[in-house]
Order: sequence, then structure tokens, then C-alpha cells
Amino acid sequence: MEPERKCPQCGRKIPWGQAQCPFCPGHGGYLWSLRRDTFLLITIVFLILLFVVTGFAVRIYHDVEKGYAQEWYTHGEDDLRAGRAEAALTDFRTALSYSHDNDQYQLRLAQALMMPGVGSAAGSEARTYLQNLLEHEPGNATVNLELARLAARDHAVPDALRFYHGAIYGEWTDDPVVRRRGARLELVGFLLEAGQKDSARAELIALATDLPPDPALQTRVGTLLLQAKGYDDALKLFHQALLEDPNLPAALAGSGECHFQNGDYSQAARYLARALQQDPHLTLAAARLNAAQLVLANDPFNHRLGNMERARRAAADFGLALNRLQSCSAQKGVDLKSAGGDPLQTLYTQASALQPRAQQQNLSRDSELLSQAMDSVFAIEQATARACGEPEGLDLALLLMAKEQGGSRP
Amino acid sequence: MSVSPVTPPYPPDGQPTLALGIWAEFRRRFAWVQEGERLKETQLFLLLAVIIGLFGGLAVVLFRIAIDWTKLLAFGSGMTPPWTRLLMVPTIGGLAVAYLVIRFFPRARGSGVNQTKAAVYIFDGYIPFNTVIGKFITCALAIGTGQSLGPEDPSLQMGAGIASALGRRLRLSREKVRLIAPVGAAAGLAAAFNAPISAVLFVIEEVIGNWNAGVLGAIVLSAVSSVIVSRWFLGDQALFRIPAYHLIHPAELLAYAALGVIGGVSSLAFVKLVAYTRPRLKALPRWTQYVQPAVAGLLIGIIGIWFPQVMGAGYGFIDQAMHDQFTWQVLALLAAFKIISTSLSFVSGTPGGMFAPTLFIGAMLGAAVGGIEHHFFPWLTGGLGAYALVGMGTLFAGFLRVPLTSVFMVLEVSGNYSIILPVMVSNTIAYLISRQYQETSLFDLLSRQDGMDLPSMEERREEVSVHVEDAMRTYQANVLNIEEPLKTALARAEASSESFVFVEDGAGKWFGIKKEELRRQAAAAQVGTTLRSVLSVEPLPHVHPDHALEEALRRLGDLPILPVVNRANFHKLEGVVGLREILQVYHAVG
Repeated sequence: MEPERKCPQCGRKIPWGQAQCPFCPGHGGYLWSLRRDTFLLITIVFLILLFVVTGFAVRIYHDVEKGYAQEWYTHGEDDLRAGRAEAALTDFRTALSYSHDNDQYQLRLAQALMMPGVGSAAGSEARTYLQNLLEHEPGNATVNLELARLAARDHAVPDALRFYHGAIYGEWTDDPVVRRRGARLELVGFLLEAGQKDSARAELIALATDLPPDPALQTRVGTLLLQAKGYDDALKLFHQALLEDPNLPAALAGSGECHFQNGDYSQAARYLARALQQDPHLTLAAARLNAAQLVLANDPFNHRLGNMERARRAAADFGLALNRLQSCSAQKGVDLKSAGGDPLQTLYTQASALQPRAQQQNLSRDSELLSQAMDSVFAIEQATARACGEPEGLDLALLLMAKEQGGSRP
Repeated sequence: MSVSPVTPPYPPDGQPTLALGIWAEFRRRFAWVQEGERLKETQLFLLLAVIIGLFGGLAVVLFRIAIDWTKLLAFGSGMTPPWTRLLMVPTIGGLAVAYLVIRFFPRARGSGVNQTKAAVYIFDGYIPFNTVIGKFITCALAIGTGQSLGPEDPSLQMGAGIASALGRRLRLSREKVRLIAPVGAAAGLAAAFNAPISAVLFVIEEVIGNWNAGVLGAIVLSAVSSVIVSRWFLGDQALFRIPAYHLIHPAELLAYAALGVIGGVSSLAFVKLVAYTRPRLKALPRWTQYVQPAVAGLLIGIIGIWFPQVMGAGYGFIDQAMHDQFTWQVLALLAAFKIISTSLSFVSGTPGGMFAPTLFIGAMLGAAVGGIEHHFFPWLTGGLGAYALVGMGTLFAGFLRVPLTSVFMVLEVSGNYSIILPVMVSNTIAYLISRQYQETSLFDLLSRQDGMDLPSMEERREEVSVHVEDAMRTYQANVLNIEEPLKTALARAEASSESFVFVEDGAGKWFGIKKEELRRQAAAAQVGTTLRSVLSVEPLPHVHPDHALEEALRRLGDLPILPVVNRANFHKLEGVVGLREILQVYHAVG
């Protein structure tokens, strides 16, 4: 450090590296000779000039940045199309580094981050971008939909519901009706997966009110309603679809399924048979048709039957149920002949007591006895279904009858 | 108030012109700016604070663009430049910066904080304007070519330099010129940080060292106006996208305490590394100073081949760390390599700031600690973003040793008040660890290495302050009443050993008289003469027990003792204090 020097004029220390005192007028050239107000005016003019220069520089720089941003965004789209998700992420990030607040880039990056195989931690980053966008534009339906998908991925049901509704009621820039419908269908899919069938049904009923006359779409919504156990509403949609296209296999199968679930097996069989005529590969419809036909063939309560046929069916059903009871108890290791608290043992005791009288002739004469025998059949089928699982074939038909509280019993 | 006569706006031919008219009107309106009006200088100071803020904001905007542009030109527009550029650009940039600094701008060296403090405390607020230009050019070049330094501290010095130049040209008083540099410093820092509160606090905490009411208003004005300018041109988005934060469980504070410990130890390692290497590199032959920044740049470039994130200020990567884009292993490595690369850049004499690297290291450490904790205790920890944010404050507290600024910076940047608890826990621990094992703070250390003994704000904050109550003694005499007859008063005064006795007027005003003088007056007085007639009209100054001892010394003047009066009851004498007692206390506290 050089020794301290003081200005002889003002007494201040002369800073290091300075030949003369920088505080005293006369050493600073023209600016020191100016009055305060003059200098202040010059300063303000210079400030305005600097504002202009800065504005100009910022504008040029922002234009350059925008150019780079667009270039990297285009690269990102290309990479995405070529399936290079990681490269696309880098491109979109680079684009965003040049245009921080570009909503389109943020949305695209968030969407790329949510693509399968990108990495589990990417969801958090995507959420940040999307929430950022949502803050700017709470009614943006696309952003709401992406956030809903993120929430659905995390199984956050309330958040997913909130964002899906945001998407359904939000602003879509292109084809809003179709996009809203798509969002609602996605929501229904999520609700069904989450086991929230009542909420899903409500959404589907709302959706069904303004569906266009498109049989494929009506059938799709009807099928979802079927999954949500909205059989009557689904049936209406299938019928609407069949009005447009009477031979649409999915609508026929759907109608059959609705009737089947409602216990109307004759109608179910009719629709299911037609569906299978149109498309023999409908495996569920085939299984349902088989079950429906078995119900129709074995239901003793069909009002068109004569007494003898009714009794024959009841006797056969009773025997079948007893066999089912015995095979199930053997499977579960329950000794039916010994006394105990097992429901199967109780049912066996009751059925054994009834068996001597449950002959065709007795049953044809005594409708009370027939009812009693069938009650026993239904009780056995329900208990064995609980104990040994869903039966097949005739036992399934009996179980279906039991579920309908006695088939077509008046 | 005297206003200098204003010449009418008429040229010799008698016809006014528009230009002259405007000029005359301006001079009329700004007539108060004329020298010699002491009160108006205060107003000028405030106006100047705004102008400095505007200039500071503009300078910082241009500075940021210059850095970004340099980076674009040097490395191209991609996020991952080719390795040849990563090696060549910082090396060549280092050579250029070294040449410019040594040849043209020797005062542009360093971060800028100590240089501003030196201007305030040594050079009467003088910062040559070519330092501003030098800082602008060399720092833009250094940071833009990948040196691991930040733009905040240089912005602070540039702001201070602009302020100093304006203050001097406007011929402000010596006191004001000295104060104007911190005003500019706040403007520069506020615009660079986009955080006016933190900037004001930092300048008060580190540059000025006290809450001087005279300058506080100007500092706030300049900081606000500079931030307005920077937001006008660069937008009002924060430096980082702040993730949502909420405390998952009170036990999570333990995790933040762990972050405080790790942050404190890392700060310590960082300071020790800088403190150890800097004087050794400075002691090397002078010619090596031309190549030191280039060598540092080359080494940083080598690190950059694997971790390009450590190059430059790195704000974009802080943002990425906040949003879970790196694994905790990568985050920990980034923190370690940033400490090394920043130390390399700084100790090689490359001009540039330490704020951004500190934030970077803090964010990486915080997110790494958060990542580890999330791995082992997933039910306990929130998002990594919150840890990164708290980590930034932690390093700020531990490395730069500005505890108050560190807390408010995180609050201001996050805009989330609920983060205050983790920030306070972590910052306090880091600060205490740093204090415990490194007596001198970074800035003080650097100034001492440069052969300057600038006032240590940390020491000043922690100075033991002595009060009147530490020095006062019991008053040994009776308090006399002003209406007392002289003879009676003398008799009561004689009963004590005090040579100076106090008189109270019943209204809380205290007077005093030497016993000798009282004797003399009593001898000459007629019967019935009261004390009032012999006392001076002006009451004695008094002090309260909690007054600083310096204040007592100042008020004592030529008096032998001062009355120490109760604050709530001015009639009650708590004791007395004299020069002997004051000196005894100063002697005792060393």
C-alpha cells in the first residue's frame, strides 16, 4: 500500500491509485464545472437515454432468445415424434431456458415428463410446471386434464376429481365438445378403476344427456354404464344405438347383458343370440346366453309351464342342489351328517328332512311344498357359492334364479 | 430560504424560445438543488437514491444480458456444449480477463463487497467510475465463459460505483458521499437478486453494520427503484420456480437440523479452502497472475465435461435441483465440485461474486440431504425443493455469515412464510458451527488478506455494550430542593462526602452545584434566599440506567457527575455517574 496522502484543498484522503483529489472541483474536467441543477438535468437526460438503450438491447436479446427457444422447441417435437423422450426433454428444457414463461413450452415439457419410461421423479417436475400454468390460467382445460392425469397416477382421488372437473368445465381451444366428452370419459375410467361406481354412474348419466346420434359412442358409454351398474340407463343407450344400427353386435350384446343383469333372461337370451349371430366371437355374450338359456330351461316358476313340468323342474333342481351341497362340503372338509354350527350342515339337515317329499308327484300337487323345495335349493346355491365360489352350468343358473329371489316366481 | 435569481427565458432580441423556456422552468423548479442549503441536501439525497436505483437497475439489466450473450457466443445455445468448447472457452476467457484486470482494471478484482466496504470506511465513499466499467466487462466475460462465479456481488459494487460517481459530481458533503455508496450497493444487489428486502438487509448487515435511520430510507428507495427497473425489462418471475412447501411432520425439523450441520461443515470447508489457497496464489510471481484465471478456467472446464452445471452462475440448475431432476448422489457431487470450482475461480483473482455459487452449493446440498432422508424416511420428508431452498439459506448463513439476510432471503425468494421454521433451525445451526470453528468471517478474512482492517460487522454486532447501569454508583448526599433556603441547603450538603450536590425542582428537572460554590453563595446571601437564585437557568443533562456509556460520556461534558434518573419517575435518582466510573468500566471490559 502506498503512503496515505491528503488533499491540500479539502483535507480528504486521496484514494489509492489517484494522482489528484477526486473530490475537489477543478480536477474532474468539464463535469466538475457544472452547477448542480445542470448536472442533475444532464443525469436525467442520460438516464432516459440509458433507458432507451437498455430497452433496445433487451428487445434484441429477447428476440435472439425467442429464436433459440423456437429452434429447440422444434427439435423437441422432432425428438418426441422419433420416440426419443429423453432428448426431447433436454430440448424442451433448453427451449424453456430461453423463454421461461412460455406456456406452450411448459405444457409440452410437462407432457413429455409424464410420458411412460421417463422416470418416476419427473412427475414432480411436471406438476410444478402445470401448477405454474394453472396459476396463470385457472380455467385452462388442457392443464387441468394433465394435472388430473398426474393425480390419477398418484391415486389422489379428490385431486383427480377436482382437476378432471376443471378440464370438463374449462376452456378448450379446439373442438370443446369432443374434448370435454373425452375428459369425462377419462374421468369415468379413472373412477371405475378406483372402485367409485356411483360417482362414475353419475358422470355417465350426465354424459349420456347430450350424446350425438353416434351408435359407436352410445354403445361405448352404455358399456361403461354397464360397468358402473347403471343397467337401465345403459339399456336406453343401447336401444338408441340399435335404432341407428340394428345389427351393431356390441349394442346387442350390451342390451342382452342389461336384461341379463336385470333378471329378464328371455329378453337377454333374445339379444344375446342376435349379438352372437352378428359376431360369434363375443365370448362373454356366449357365456351369458348359455346361462340365460339354462335359467329359462330350469326355472320352475315360468308361468307358461304346466304343473307336471313345473314339478319336474323343481325336483331336478332339488336333486342338483343336494349334489352341489355334498360336493362343496367335501371340498371344504365339512361332515354333513354330524351336527355342528356350519351353515352347510344346517342346510343339509333341512334338505334331508324335505327330500322324501320332494318328489315330482308330490310337488305337482302341492305348490306350497314346491315353493319350500325351491327355497331350499336357492339357500343351498347361495351358501355353497359363498363357501366354494361361483358355480358353473346348471348350478350357476340356479344361483342366478336365487339372486332374482326365485327366478320368475310370481 | 434563499433562491438564486433566475434569468428570464428571453434571448437578447426579447423573444422567448421553447428551449430556453424549458431550461428556465427547470432551473426554477430545481433551484433548491443549489449548494449551501443544508436541509435541501437531505431531499437531494433521497432524489439521488431513486436516480441511483434507476441507474443501478439499468446497469444490472445490461450486465445480465452481457453475461448471457457472452455465454451464448462462447458455448452455443445448447445445454450440453461439446467438450472442446468446455475446455477452451474458460481457458481463453481466463486469459482475457486476467489481461484486462491487470492491465486496465486492477480494482475490479474480487467479489465487490469488500471493495465497497473499503470505499465506505477508508476512501470516504470514493469508487472510481472505471471500476464500474471494469467490473462490468471483466465479470461478464468471466461468468459468461464459465468461471464458477456469480453476478450479484459485482452488481453490488457497480451500484456503489455509480452512486459514488453521482454523489461526488453533485458535490454532496463528505458524510453523504460516504453514505451514498451503500445506497448504490443496495440498488445493484436488489436488481441482481430481484429481492429488495434481502438486498437492503445485506447492505445493512454487512456493509453499513447498523440501522442508520439517515440512510435507511435512501437504501430502501434505491433498492425498490432498481428492482422496478429490472422487473420492467426482465420480467417479474423469481430466480427459481418455487415448489409448494408444507411441513409434513414436526419431526421433519430434525431433518432440517441435520441439513444445518452438513451445511455448517460444508461452509467451513469452503471458507478454509479459500482462506488457505488465496494468499498462496497471491504470493506467486506476478507473471503467474496472467495465467491463474486461465488455469482455473481449464480445471473448471475439465470438471464441466462431466458436470457442466458447475460452470457459470448456475441458476437454471438450482431450479432443476429444486424439482427432483438429480439423484442425491449427483447433487452431492455437484455441491462438492462447485466448492472446488468456485474456490479455483475466486482465488485465481478472477472477478466475480460468491453469492450465486453459495446458493448453488446450498441448493445442491439441501436437495441431497433431502434425497437421502427421503430415501430412508419417506414418510417424514416433503419435496426436495423445500430442502434445496432451505439449503441455500443455510450456506448463506454459514459461508457468508449473514444470518438475518439468509432467513429473509429464503422467505423473499419462496414467498412462503411457513418455511421460516426449518430455515431458522438450519441456518442457526450452520451459523453456529461456522462461528465455532472459523473465528473470522469470509469477508473479514479477505480484507485482512488484502492488508485492510475493515470493521467487522460480525464483531460489531457482537460487541459487548456497556451501559450506564454498569458504571453508576450510589449518590452519597441528600437531594436538595430548589426552594430550600441556602443556609439549610448548605447544612444538608455538608452532611455528605459528595463535592457536587444535586438539586431537584419538583418537576423532574435536575440542577447541580459544587459544594464549594454553595458555601460561597451561602456566606454572601441574605436571609430567605433560596437555592433557585444561585443555580443556573439550564437544568443538568441526565441519563437513564440503560443508556449506552458512550452517551453518558457525551452528555457529561465538563460536569463532575451526571444524575442517573429513573425512566418512569424523573424525580427518582437511581445513582450518579462520573468520568472516573466510566473509565473504570471501560478498563474492566478491555
